[in-house]
Amino acid sequence: MPSMDAISRNLMLDSLRDYARKNIPYDFIREKDQANEFPDKVLKDMYDHSILGVHLLMVPEEYGGVSGGTYDIYRICEALAHIDLGIATAVFATFLGTDPLNVGGTEDQKKKWLQRIAKENLMVAYAATEPDAGSDLVNLRTRAEHVLKNGQLAGYRITGNKQWISNGGVADLYTVLALAPGGPCWFLVERNMEGFAPGKHEDKHGIRLSNTAALSLDNVYVPKENLIGEVEGQGLLQAQAVFGYTRVMVAAFGLGAGWEAVEQAVRYSQQRIQAGGPLSDKQGYTHKLIVPHAVKLEAARAYIEETSNRLDGGEHGLQTEGAIAKYSATEAGNKAADDAIQAFGGYGYTRDFPVEKIKRDIKITCIYEGTSEVLEMTIYRGRWQEHLKSRGRYYIDLADRMDALHDRNPEVGARAAGLALRALAAVMEECRVQKLTRHQAITFRLGRLISMCELAYVFAGASAKERYSESVRFDTQAWQAMSRIFARDAALQMATEGLAMVLGSVDTAGNIAAAVDMDGVQAVQKGMMADMDLVAVKLKQTFKAK
Amino acid sequence: MHIAVCVKQVPDTTEVKINPETGTLIRAGVPSIINPYDHFALQTAIELKKAHGFRVTVISMGPPQAKSVVQMGLALGADDGVLLSDMAFAGSDTWATSYAIAKAVKKLGKVDIILAGMQAIDGDTAQTGPGVAQQLGIPQVTFCVKIDVDGRKIIARKLIDGGYEVVETRAPALFTMIMPPDYTSKYPAFLDVHASLRKPYHVWSASDIGAENHYLGLKGSPTQVARIYPPPQREKAAMTNGSSQEAVEKILDIMRKEHFIE
Ligand SMILES: Cc1cc2nc3c(=O)[nH]c(=O)nc-3n(C[C@H](O)[C@H](O)[C@H](O)COP(=O)(O)OP(=O)(O)OC[C@H]3O[C@@H](n4cnc5c(N)ncnc54)[C@H](O)[C@@H]3O)c2cc1C
Repeated sequence: MPSMDAISRNLMLDSLRDYARKNIPYDFIREKDQANEFPDKVLKDMYDHSILGVHLLMVPEEYGGVSGGTYDIYRICEALAHIDLGIATAVFATFLGTDPLNVGGTEDQKKKWLQRIAKENLMVAYAATEPDAGSDLVNLRTRAEHVLKNGQLAGYRITGNKQWISNGGVADLYTVLALAPGGPCWFLVERNMEGFAPGKHEDKHGIRLSNTAALSLDNVYVPKENLIGEVEGQGLLQAQAVFGYTRVMVAAFGLGAGWEAVEQAVRYSQQRIQAGGPLSDKQGYTHKLIVPHAVKLEAARAYIEETSNRLDGGEHGLQTEGAIAKYSATEAGNKAADDAIQAFGGYGYTRDFPVEKIKRDIKITCIYEGTSEVLEMTIYRGRWQEHLKSRGRYYIDLADRMDALHDRNPEVGARAAGLALRALAAVMEECRVQKLTRHQAITFRLGRLISMCELAYVFAGASAKERYSESVRFDTQAWQAMSRIFARDAALQMATEGLAMVLGSVDTAGNIAAAVDMDGVQAVQKGMMADMDLVAVKLKQTFKAK
Repeated sequence: MHIAVCVKQVPDTTEVKINPETGTLIRAGVPSIINPYDHFALQTAIELKKAHGFRVTVISMGPPQAKSVVQMGLALGADDGVLLSDMAFAGSDTWATSYAIAKAVKKLGKVDIILAGMQAIDGDTAQTGPGVAQQLGIPQVTFCVKIDVDGRKIIARKLIDGGYEVVETRAPALFTMIMPPDYTSKYPAFLDVHASLRKPYHVWSASDIGAENHYLGLKGSPTQVARIYPPPQREKAAMTNGSSQEAVEKILDIMRKEHFIE
């Protein structure tokens, strides 16, 4: 679905933020977090179409929803993450649970179920994971057996166990992945069906406001109309088809929660006086604990936006892009939150300040919807194919474009991004020649380096634009400085790590050391300190002490 | 009855920063919001609509992005929306703005009640609402916290120093609104925002409302802003406590130290 107009989207964002301001103060969240309680009233309001109706973003207009596009959903997910990642997850689970219907449902199924979700404010859960099938869903054990009536297929009996299901104990409707005789498929299971029993609310490290539960299905009968798509064996394809899109949502969680932590640290650092001045004026502090995270989060934002816009523009799949978006934003957010505790010192280590909770919450974003390691593998696989198909030109072409951009606009770090991409191309080629991808560790590492280089590419392009998108809270000067910092770092890490990775795994290296152009990489480091100083000042101006 | 509500899009002044070197406002990155007093006026209109079945039209004057506050009005339940947007309006002061809004109200046809916010939080003049009433030659009641309607009679509860005044008038009349202490602002549900896209919405230019160009914009504005600057930071106040006698002694001490008195 294309995204809606900016005014409508921002009115919805305002409504959501206003609701949170009035109804979800930190004290309330803190209390629920400690009691490990699901805030049912808040979620009822979020799902109430006459109060907020956030879940309607996933429902097309013709079924009573508001037809949100990827960009809209990214913005809403980011805003939800600023509020609380547990609450965000309780909304997200419905987005996820609705997806198989949107992608694979028949017209009748969509009409019936999407309308019910919209009108009856149904909370949905998405049940794929099992005790023995996590990252690897091929191990799926839940079975759906045919039930015949007069020799005709009438329905299915589903038996099995699901693990770690968000909204598991509180949903009205469940989309359950099970193995039918024709292969894996999604079934719609209603809460009150016989033989269906959710387990207890798990006692988790973070997102404690989100209900997570195991599910037990013991011969649960569902009519054949509840098989999504009404054809067996499409389940994994239907799940795959939306990964680009669903991973953008979790990427937005990493971005929103990560920024919330950084913003709080920036505000705090202006009030906290140590050694004669505010911490925000101390470079050793800002350039370690704050600026690098702000830069990485904005690079991830640029990437999330590009992927969202491409999906809204009608491109399909974009699984590698979705993986890069999620991987970079959640890893950046997680590390930002960790350093936000550090930035608060002893106060950050207590529950009196929200950064401690953000740190616990945000970790989940590196685990669900594909762990960071699984994503490194996905990213590597996707781009390795491109490298082979293009005979090694894939990243060289991108590097050429960066050089051209640098000629038009020398302020955005395009030269450094180009160096990073060229080094990446060289390292990938060396890996091919030396058959290094037989080492899983190298493939995962490549996944990480690829993400970093692609972010540098996209960030440079985005920061060179005449007008920035509505989500960017910095001026051109600040955003371009951030892009330069990111690109320099990417070039340096790509060159040194790429080289080290190859040298560490071969007996005789080819001319890889020359190919990564270390001299060039060193030359572009010029100006780094001044840019870090500038970003530290801009952050202070943007997030003033309260 | 037909109610017209005047709303303005303003920068969220709690987020506005002032450039310490130039003394000008840094607008970049500052979110725009509906003027809070207008928001209350809008809610008052919607409540009257619910109670009496009145028709509500939202009017705003501003750049194209000010559509946002009109659409918000529609999402909250107004029937029609009008945005006065034209380069000719740019730079209008409160007089020129009142003139344009009055012209737009005339174009709407029969309007019985006009509601506006007491003032806008960006300019704080409190002049535009009364200016519109003056241009239209109708009665005005300012600083109202509540409006009741009984036939053609309108009863307004007006805030005055130390209490309220109850004012009765006949339609057509204009009221400027200020929030009572127990007020909570309402924001639209997602579905209402979406549905508002299908409500009648018009953008009117100066010529659409028959406004004469020499009464509009900078040249139509008798007020000229010479300079905007942040007031100098006040130094910290010193608080004294204890009995009045002790407090007076302390204050006298300070005044002597600062050489205000000998
Ligand atoms: C709070 C919470 C909410 C959740 N909500 C839902 C939900 O709503 N619906 C749902 O279906 N699921 C949900 N999940 C499940 C989640 O998606 C899985 O936990 C996740 O996919 C990882 O699976 P796993 O826990 O079995 O870990 P494993 O797959 O066992 O992974 C363990 C570790 O091994 C690594 N690893 C895995 N495979 C490989 C490999 N091939 N090579 C190298 N390393 C590997 C992983 O990266 C990880 O570090 C939720 C989980 C949690 C904790």
